[in-house]
Amino acid sequence: MSAVSDREITRVLYVEDDPDIRAIAEIALQEIGGFEAALCESGAVAVETAPSFEPELILLDVMMPGMDGPSTLKALRELDGMAEIPVIFMTARLQNSEIREYRELGALGVIPKPFDPMTLSDQISRILRDARD
Amino acid sequence: MVSQSDNEVSQKLKALREKFLKRAREDIRELSTYAEQTRSGTLSAEALIRCYQSLHRLAGSAGTFGLPKLGQEARLLEKKLKSQAEQLGDTPEVHRQSIEVPEDFADGIDTLAELVEVKAESSGNPAAKQTTLVAENRIDGSHGMQVRILLIDADASGAVGSLSAELARYGFICQFVDERDEKALKTAVSKSGSAASVLCRDSILPTIMPLVISQRGEGSRRRLPVVAIGDDDTFDNNYLVAKAGASAFFSAPINVPELAERIESLAIERSSGVNGRVLIVEDDIELAEHYCLVLRSAGIEAEPLTRPDRLMAELSAFQPDIVLMDVQIGAYSGVNLARLIRFESRWLSLPIIYLSSEDDRDNQLEALSQGADEFLVKPVSDDYLVRSVRIRCYRARQLSDLMNRDSLTGLLKHSLIKQELEKELARCRRFGHASSVVMIDLDHFKQVNDTWGHRQGDIVIRALANLLRNRLRETDIIGRYGGEEFAVVLPDCSVQAAMAVIKGIGESFSELAFSVGDSAFHVTLSAGVSEINDFVNGDDALEAADQALYHRKREGRNGVTIYRPD
Repeated sequence: MSAVSDREITRVLYVEDDPDIRAIAEIALQEIGGFEAALCESGAVAVETAPSFEPELILLDVMMPGMDGPSTLKALRELDGMAEIPVIFMTARLQNSEIREYRELGALGVIPKPFDPMTLSDQISRILRDARD
Repeated sequence: MVSQSDNEVSQKLKALREKFLKRAREDIRELSTYAEQTRSGTLSAEALIRCYQSLHRLAGSAGTFGLPKLGQEARLLEKKLKSQAEQLGDTPEVHRQSIEVPEDFADGIDTLAELVEVKAESSGNPAAKQTTLVAENRIDGSHGMQVRILLIDADASGAVGSLSAELARYGFICQFVDERDEKALKTAVSKSGSAASVLCRDSILPTIMPLVISQRGEGSRRRLPVVAIGDDDTFDNNYLVAKAGASAFFSAPINVPELAERIESLAIERSSGVNGRVLIVEDDIELAEHYCLVLRSAGIEAEPLTRPDRLMAELSAFQPDIVLMDVQIGAYSGVNLARLIRFESRWLSLPIIYLSSEDDRDNQLEALSQGADEFLVKPVSDDYLVRSVRIRCYRARQLSDLMNRDSLTGLLKHSLIKQELEKELARCRRFGHASSVVMIDLDHFKQVNDTWGHRQGDIVIRALANLLRNRLRETDIIGRYGGEEFAVVLPDCSVQAAMAVIKGIGESFSELAFSVGDSAFHVTLSAGVSEINDFVNGDDALEAADQALYHRKREGRNGVTIYRPD
């Protein structure tokens, strides 16, 4: 499991193929949640963006064309300094077996889709807090 | 944090919703074309995969944009296609072939087309609506939440550590923490949950208090209450303990029932951190939204109401603790609205506070005499608004507790438990589950009062009340029925299960030692149980439980009897 430091998290990288969801997630994270967010439309773009953006938290949509969430995670983990960054999966299919699978991949938690833009950042904080305890 | 930019945010959200809606309509139009193809049997495998992807996207996003029903319907359809789509995805060579899909698929698409035209939920915040519904029918209780005590001591057999077994009998979760293990202390304090309390020796308060204070804010606004024990009962020492920040002090020899009682009430006070519900009646939509955001950000539930003609319906639906109202709302006068609210007797004691720029004292008084309670003069700073609303909500709750709850035990009063029983009977009929009602009576209670005095009698009654609160579920309803009689409603619980639960509580209760000076005494309880569903009304069910209790008394007390019709 990734280490979550007590330090306040500010930079969040969100990988999501649906442009509408990206747009609303940007508002949910930046303007409502107060994070600094980088939105990527694919796993490949995330791998390019991550080294310069230096995220402190990664949100990954599970089902994406091409590189899906789990393979994106694998690719990101191989980058310098990305081995320990906490990861949360976003998924519309919430089955216990899948949640277990994502946790085994090293995810801190899973946020079900659809998410409520007003409370997305609260959900993130809750998962981070539980992981710290 | 919360300011004018919130307006900007909601504007942006609105624009995004519009955009989403446009695209969703296009997607569904495409899906409808495919639906036609399924009806004529010409849908290709490729098209089916497209449908599947499109439905998956709708399922995952519609709720975010305020169309949860659309999302749910899309999810159902997605599931119908799932196995087929995944199979076909692995065999690209068949993509051009036409295939069959479940019959009702096309109809499902038609439903989507209807749902996308239903107006999106304006607030876009379905979560807030849900809490409103849950809170509507419930009487707040703090039971079902076992109180945790952190016993901090040098070793488990010390003055504090050794209390563990005895306190556990009262139904507390006792956790021993070594005072020298700083890391364990920190974890224990931060993870204790809201219904918890610290117990330690007075001499280590200087190291414990800073820790407790620094860990505040994890889950609760209020810090963990600390109860100290020590040998020195002088005024000077009591003062030092108070100065250190402890909430209570007990000197040796420790009166355990009183200690348990105090810990219980401190923990309840802290965990019942409900910050209140406020209805804001204000015709300036932006201002109303702003107040709501400010209050919500402070953990207070707030709902805006811009149309006074919806006032009475909204009051019933939202059940606020207080109402904040402008003095003039469009064509409506707040003074008249306040009077109108008082037409309904259930809202007679609902505090109504005017938010107004009226600063003339005489005019204020004039308005107040017509049915409202107080003035907040605009402009109010965000911080002032939160603080004054919070205090007023707290007082309003205290007042309604005073009216509904027994002062000695904090349990529901006679009349309310009967109401709750009737409600449960109605629920049983609606949902078909079985529920039980239990009458509990303390054995030989008169002797306790005669021998040890009424003060001790009260302690015994409170001890049972606390034990019931600690051991029963949050959904169970506990009331003090009369002097030493208690009534408990156990929803969705068979009489056998109810008997087992109450038996266990009775056994724990009989183990409690009530000490007076050097001597100690024990008290047992008897109980009768009946199944609510067997009776036409709540009174009869209660009467049956009472008869079973009477049988128990005749058969030697100290136990539980299930009602059997003669």
